[in-house]
Amino acid sequence: MSTAPQVEFRVGLASCGVANGARPVHEALEAAVREAGRGVARAVGCGGMCHREPLVEVIDDHGQRAVYTHVTPELVPGLVRRHLRPRGLLTRARWLAAGLAAGGNGLQHATSEETTAVPRIVLENCGRIDPSSLDDALAHGGYEGLRTCLEHLSPEGVVEMISASGLRGRGGAGFPTGRKWSLARAQPAPKYVICNGDEGDPGAFMDRLVLESDPHRVVEGLAIAAWAMGAEEGIFYIRAEYPQAVRRVREAIRQAEARGVLGERVLDRDVRLRFEVREGAGAFVCGEETALIASLEGSRGMPRLRPPYPVEKGYRGRPTAINNVETLACVPWIVRQGPEAFAALGTESSKGTKVFALAGKIRHGGLIEVPMGVTIRTIVEDLGGGVPKGRTFKAVQLGGPSGGCLPASLRDTPVDYEALRESGAIMGSGGLVVLDDRDCMVDMARFFLRFTCHESCGKCTFCRIGTQRMLEILDRLCSGEGREEDLANLEELADRVSRTSLCGLGQTAPNPVLTSLRYFREEFETHVREKRCPAGRCTALTDYRINEAACIGCTMCAQVCPVGAIAYRPHEPHAIDLALCTRCNMCFEACEDGAVEVTSRGGICATSPSAQERAG
Amino acid sequence: MSATPTAIGSGPAWLRRVVGEAHDQMRVARGLAVAATVVVFVAASVLIATHIAYVWNAGADEARIVELEGRTKGDPEVAARLHEERKRQTDASVARETRGRVLAWVLLVASGVFVAAERWWESLRPDRVPSLEELVAARFGIVTAEMSSPGRHLGRDKGALGNGRAEDAGTEGVATAKPRGEGEGYIAPETVDLEFVDGLIDRFGRDREAAIPILQAIQAHFRYLPDEALKHVCEKTEITPAQIAGTSSFYSQFRRSPVGRHVVRVCHGTACHVAGAEQITEELRRHLEIPPDEDTDAQRRFTLDKVACLGCCSLAPVMMIEEDTAGRLTPATARQALDAVAKDS
Repeated sequence: MSTAPQVEFRVGLASCGVANGARPVHEALEAAVREAGRGVARAVGCGGMCHREPLVEVIDDHGQRAVYTHVTPELVPGLVRRHLRPRGLLTRARWLAAGLAAGGNGLQHATSEETTAVPRIVLENCGRIDPSSLDDALAHGGYEGLRTCLEHLSPEGVVEMISASGLRGRGGAGFPTGRKWSLARAQPAPKYVICNGDEGDPGAFMDRLVLESDPHRVVEGLAIAAWAMGAEEGIFYIRAEYPQAVRRVREAIRQAEARGVLGERVLDRDVRLRFEVREGAGAFVCGEETALIASLEGSRGMPRLRPPYPVEKGYRGRPTAINNVETLACVPWIVRQGPEAFAALGTESSKGTKVFALAGKIRHGGLIEVPMGVTIRTIVEDLGGGVPKGRTFKAVQLGGPSGGCLPASLRDTPVDYEALRESGAIMGSGGLVVLDDRDCMVDMARFFLRFTCHESCGKCTFCRIGTQRMLEILDRLCSGEGREEDLANLEELADRVSRTSLCGLGQTAPNPVLTSLRYFREEFETHVREKRCPAGRCTALTDYRINEAACIGCTMCAQVCPVGAIAYRPHEPHAIDLALCTRCNMCFEACEDGAVEVTSRGGICATSPSAQERAG
Repeated sequence: MSATPTAIGSGPAWLRRVVGEAHDQMRVARGLAVAATVVVFVAASVLIATHIAYVWNAGADEARIVELEGRTKGDPEVAARLHEERKRQTDASVARETRGRVLAWVLLVASGVFVAAERWWESLRPDRVPSLEELVAARFGIVTAEMSSPGRHLGRDKGALGNGRAEDAGTEGVATAKPRGEGEGYIAPETVDLEFVDGLIDRFGRDREAAIPILQAIQAHFRYLPDEALKHVCEKTEITPAQIAGTSSFYSQFRRSPVGRHVVRVCHGTACHVAGAEQITEELRRHLEIPPDEDTDAQRRFTLDKVACLGCCSLAPVMMIEEDTAGRLTPATARQALDAVAKDS
């Protein structure tokens, strides 16, 4: 093998990539590279462009980057042919012939603005390095921050640095990280540091992605945190639903210990750091600090009264500092690039960048990292490509079950802890779900309340029973049995639940209901007074019918109907038997002639988009 | 089921000695069937051709006789030719009769050979419908001839269930694809491997804090928390029954009842909810005929689990069949994915 730089093919093999079929692509690439006798095929994490997976990134021997999207194993030979000249005359001739025979192939390039997006701090190396290789991490600046700390800085200096950077907890509440560290630093040893990877918010997946794609960065972040606070023991608390993340972090810790980056003598200094991984057993409330500690101690994950705060009395009764995955992932960057560089990004009170998991009715879903202070409009319309053709942007849900829905009219709200809190939503952990005109706000509120009601640990009465009562009211609204007094009762209950709950789960549980009531009150009132769902989403209030004038009798709807509610009669206008219909929406999706209509109490809520409308 | 057919279906010993193992037997049977088919075709075509030739020539032959008879009066030469013609036609018809009879026999025998060879071949195919005895033997790893009590038990239980299920065992085998997924008692192991639990206790320790890791490992191994294992943990460690009851009911990862062959987790996160996760679950429940208050179908093939978020929001709606994630589902593709898994196993 020559020492000249190799052509490198990188395939994203995080959970999202694998679910989109990246594994066969990786195998095909390995086979093709083996045949060529040069080049390397490497498995990396996720770059965040989930809507375009499987992704293959090619770095050629001149350092030029090219990104191919939607790659299938069949496209791989053509892709490799384009970037590699194989050794051996015979193979070269064969490839040339194959290339001529294949003609134009279906390779899709990613555009340059998609690949060279905004500054990346947390996602700096995601999708660039092989997450299972320590060498790769070291080659991309891994553990440089830790080395800088140990060689040039004092623990106090690091805490000051973090304070100066303005970094705030990325778990949702936004507590200044520097202050937390200095509080913990002042406590007597032994102390513990915990990385909170119990990402339970439905609709948020950035912690999973960072842990899967760049585990060494988080390990380094926790190592710096532990050293700065004077702790020797660290725990990664990761949800068991993320098996690949758990594996990757375990592997990363093992590698780091074998290389002397962690262990009894960290980087040949008199510093001791021992890390372990514990799996969360599937309880949303364990994202709360005291519940997480209870869970680590082997009990039911129930929060307790604070103070004493975990920073004084936490795990095993010792001072404990708990930081979110994303927070810790920022730390090595801040140490390496300096706090000023970090503070230069963002707004007055919110510094740095924030990673958002963009999902829902959006064209380019995935992970994006944006500087604090950009508006929701920029995120949804510019970075996310807007809602799919034929639909209208209605609202965006921020912060999961603790957050709220902001209407499209507030799309110029900047992403900033204070501005978002003012609007009724919260920054949250970064889930951002886009809703369109087919989404019912009452149904959304009910969805989140069902979640918090189910996840309530049951300790506080109002959280346990109050959320249940609220859910019953919303169930009534969605099934057309709403009463006049329901909305007032909802508001009163919401107020009581949030005032009498011990932990964040209960305090914020009514938020989705309250923001929806604030911005979409008329939608609630329509459900109560007219027993109608304007979005055509609540199944008890909606009917499906076929517009005979538009129907061409193509039988598409009859073919997809899972309950046989549409008779198979080619070339005749179809009809839906509402007694059989389960409102599964499949005919609506299948119809390409704009003939399926969703109605609620006679009013048309939506008409299925025609083929032209779908194509845009 | 790739290993079982040779064990089950290679026929009596003498046949194995003469012809060889199932693979060779299949080749011989296939050869016989093909040969018999060829013979049947040839015999039938000859018969038909003969008949057509006869019908074709019958008119001309008769006309020739009539014509010769008309001219024969007083002409000895014509009389001799008439005699000649009559003899030729009689010989031809006798020969035709004989040939027809022989061919009919050939046809019968060849058809018989074809049917026999086909049945032989069919009995050796790996994907054929297994008999009840074979199902039992495959499930318990017991040789059919000397089936011991658990196997009989299965047979008796099925008989006791009534509903004529024992008779239908063949078709049932097809429906469940693997003979294992039958009835509640057969999924749960008869005895819980307590040595495994001891190993876990040694690994994770005996104090209160070890409770969740131990329960997680038990859950991962048995796919639920068997009561025997939990009792054993309580006896051997500082973990109390109250703590076990508390944690195992608190965390959604744990379950106290056995699961079906495959665990399907349908994501009900925000993005999936918006994209129609509810419809996916509904459709799968309907397709698997899962009763309203349960999570596993009657054949115990699939356990359907609603989970909060699988963290693949950009692929919504998503479900996980065991460790494999399937994204961008519609009710129809979700159903197909389950069917594919059921067929593979």
